[in-house]
Parts: sequence; structure tokens; C-alpha cells
Amino acid sequence: MPSAMQQLGFDEAAFRARTTEDIVVGQEIIRHRLSSRLIHWSVAISFFLCLFTGLPVWSPVFGWIGNLVGGLSVCRVLHPMFGILFAAAALVMFFHWAKEMTLTAKERGWIGPRLFAYLRDAENHAEIGKYNGGQKVFFYTSALAGLGLLLSGIVMWYPTSFPHWLHQTAIVLHSFTFVLFAVSIVFHIYLATTAEPGTFNAMTRGTVSKAWARIHHPKWYREILGLEKRS
Amino acid sequence: MSTPALEIRRSSASVLGSLTQTRQTPKVAKYVDTTICIGCKACEVACQEWNDLPEVATTQVGSYQTLPELHANYWNLIRFNEVEHDGGFSWLMRKDQCMHCDEPGCLEACPAPGAIVQYSNGIVDVDPERCIGCGYCLAGCPFNVPKFQDKSGKMQKCTLCVDRTRVGLEPACVKACPTGCLHYGDKDDLVSMAKARIAQLQSHGFANATLYDPQGVGGTGVITVLAHGDHPEWYGLPRDPTVPLSVTLWKKVLRPLGFVAVLGAVVGAFAHHLYHGNKGHIDPGPRDAGEPPAAA
Repeated sequence: MPSAMQQLGFDEAAFRARTTEDIVVGQEIIRHRLSSRLIHWSVAISFFLCLFTGLPVWSPVFGWIGNLVGGLSVCRVLHPMFGILFAAAALVMFFHWAKEMTLTAKERGWIGPRLFAYLRDAENHAEIGKYNGGQKVFFYTSALAGLGLLLSGIVMWYPTSFPHWLHQTAIVLHSFTFVLFAVSIVFHIYLATTAEPGTFNAMTRGTVSKAWARIHHPKWYREILGLEKRS
Repeated sequence: MSTPALEIRRSSASVLGSLTQTRQTPKVAKYVDTTICIGCKACEVACQEWNDLPEVATTQVGSYQTLPELHANYWNLIRFNEVEHDGGFSWLMRKDQCMHCDEPGCLEACPAPGAIVQYSNGIVDVDPERCIGCGYCLAGCPFNVPKFQDKSGKMQKCTLCVDRTRVGLEPACVKACPTGCLHYGDKDDLVSMAKARIAQLQSHGFANATLYDPQGVGGTGVITVLAHGDHPEWYGLPRDPTVPLSVTLWKKVLRPLGFVAVLGAVVGAFAHHLYHGNKGHIDPGPRDAGEPPAAA
């Protein structure tokens, strides 16, 4: 039964998704309210700005990207600034989502066997709430990577202000963290787009279908429909 | 000595790696005999003059030394080391400058194509136009030589007077040295000369006299005769310098591994999609009792 708002032609789900999440609106469930989506895209965009100004410095193979932004010296100037943007956005994101991302003892298996089972479609989803273990692990991977990239990046920004050994360690740490993060990002993007239809919508419009919720996050689905107490 | 036009043997951040040498060029070197350096600093002045470097305010460090360390506008610094040891006291002067390593850590670490080059005769040079001032060379240098301009952050250092040496002149410092402590020429010739000098020193009571030409960096283009060769650290020289592990780890291990890992992830994602398809098809199983139907 369409609500009064919908009868009047309002896009009620999109409207309510500005401030509210975890509610049912018609056939949709609001998964990410506007603030969540904004913070996610701030991190994503600043990450890509860092990527495009960092890759040409990482390897001359990406020199052509450097040319697109005005040369390597422009990268040298802009990359640290974008880095600060990225770190700031990641910090806000961390506190925005930290409460919902607590990894329970049962979910530890996602750092390994359950993640692979998930990729084989052999994972038992029944008890998955709003976020599955893989998403939580990715959340912490991002936070750690953000921290590692920030700390090493500051040292690399002002190399002459720090001891020699710290500068050298920072370069290695920056590379290592980047590779770790880049691999995670590839999977993140894949799983959020083509691997799972309907998922991307959660981060753009903010909503998912009931069927989507029931397939991927059944416990969350039951909680929202009031069939189960929220835990 | 006349030098034919210099080819570039190695260039920083080169995708294709070292260039093929079409012409054999002998390695050149600067010979420094610390035992007859009198600390007159004529070489410092000549370096400033020839390279037209702006003045750098001196810093009182408690000795005759001009500055605590090299500077972007001061590429040649005589270090006045005072060392107390079993045999008494030694006042050891040593010419601090770019060592022109055969395997330069700075060049290895540099991410800007062509910013640091090594010519076929072994001279390591910086192109300020291509330098981006990132400071990676500092992490790569085992001798703490790269110094940076305050504003631009660009690196500057001794060029072994490549603008003089390429037309057959000796470096300005060598030209100015009044004691014969400095020589310039083919490295092989200078190494023979150093050996003779070391034999002389050894017969005059300096049993540990050696030539400092560290093989960890493939040998250097500045070879230094040390009376106390068993204690290079007395002269402010590292005992066994190499291209730092961090640079090797980053460029030779993490970077190729990173390429493989990221490409592997992309290929893996594609393969996964081809094999498993997307997750929309999965049957969520029987509905829980009382659960209203989920409309698609």
C-alpha cells in the first residue's frame, strides 16, 4: 500500500534516506543515510586523487598519469595534500562506523576460511547482520592502511626533518600499506558492483530491495522487519 | 685527459633500465690523500667559485670546519675530525662530497626519470629541471650527501665538475689544491697511484693504511687514502656502505610484488565473476515463520 507521500508523487525512500537508515519504505530498505554516503565518497574520491598523483611517483610505468595532472613535480606537491584529505576523511569514517563494525569472536573466521567460503557462495549467511565479517575486516584494513599511509606520508613529506632510518622505514611502510590497501580496494569495488547486483545502489541512492537484504544480510533484514530483536 | 662526449649509462626511474654502452669510456675518479691534506680549504673556495654557488653563512662547530655538513649550495666540505686513540691524538681532515658510487643508491631511489644520471665515465649528476624535490635520494645515499634547496626542495651536490671534466679539464678543487692531495684521471691509474702511496705509508708506521673504495656500492668515483684504514668512522665514513636495504626492499621486492598482487586481484575478480556469476541468483532459503514475503 503506497503511503500518502508516495501517492502525492514524492520519492519517499530517497527523501527519508537523507537522515534515516535501517527502515523500510515501501518495497525498499534504507541502508545508508546521506551522511554515511557522503563520508564514504569523500574517502573514495580523495583516495583516487592520491592514487593518480602517487602512482607516477611509485613507478615510471605510470608516468603518463603524471603528465595528465601536470607532471611529477605537481604530483610531489599535490599528493601529500590529497593525502591529508584522505586521512581526514578516513578518520571521520572510522568514528562514523566504528560502533557497527565490532568484530565478534565468531566473525574472526572471516580473516581466512569464511571469506573464501563466501567467495565460493558456500558461506552460511543466516546470522549475518548489517555488515558481514568481510566488510568489517575491510573496514579495519582501511583504517590501518589510512593510519600507516598518513604516518609514513608525513615523514616522506618532510624528509629532512626526520632521522635517516625513519625516512627509510617510512618509504617501505608507505609502499607496503599501499599494496595491501590497493588489493583490498580491488575486491571492495568488485564485490560492491558487478559481483552483487543491487549493492552499489546502497551507496548512491542509499536504498536496497527487500530481496537484496534478505539474501545478503538476513539477520539485518529480520531486525528491520521487527521479526528479531536488534543485537 | 680528453673525454669523448659522455653517454648516459644509467638513469633514474628508467623503464627500460640501463642503456647499452656503444662506446667504452674509462671510469674516472678523484683521488684524495687525507694524509697530506692541510685543511686549507682552497678546494672549498674553488668549488664555490667554479660552480657559481651563492654564499652560505658559516657555522661555528668548534673546529675549523666551515659547516656541520654539506649544503645544497656547498658541495665540498673539509671535515676536521679530532680523534683520541691508543696512540694519542689525530687530527684527520677529509674531503666530504658526493662519492660518485658505481651503484648509486640515490639514483636507485629516485622516482623522477632522468633526474639523476650516471654518465658512462661513472660521474653521477643531477638535473635540477627533472628533480621533483621528493628527497628519496636522501634515503638511498649511504653517505648523507644529497642536500636540498630551501624553496624548491631540489637536490644539489658535487657534479665532479662534469662541465670541466667532459672537455678535458680537471675538477676545480683538484686544480686549486696546493699540496697534491687531490688528483683526477682514469680510475685505474689513480688506484695504482694509491697503492704505491699506501705501501709508502705502511712502511712509515701506518700499518693499517688503506684505500677507501667501498665495494658495497660497486666502488666509488672518489677514492680516499686513509692512514687509519681500520677506522673509516674516524673520518666520518661508513665502514661498509651499500645501497640501503629499504631502497632494495621497496624497488626490487615490494614494487614488483605489488604489481603482481594488484593485477592478480583484478584478474582474480574477473575470473571469479566468470566462474560464479553474480550473487543475485542465490536462493535465500525458506522464509522464517511469520516473515512477510520480500518482494523483489
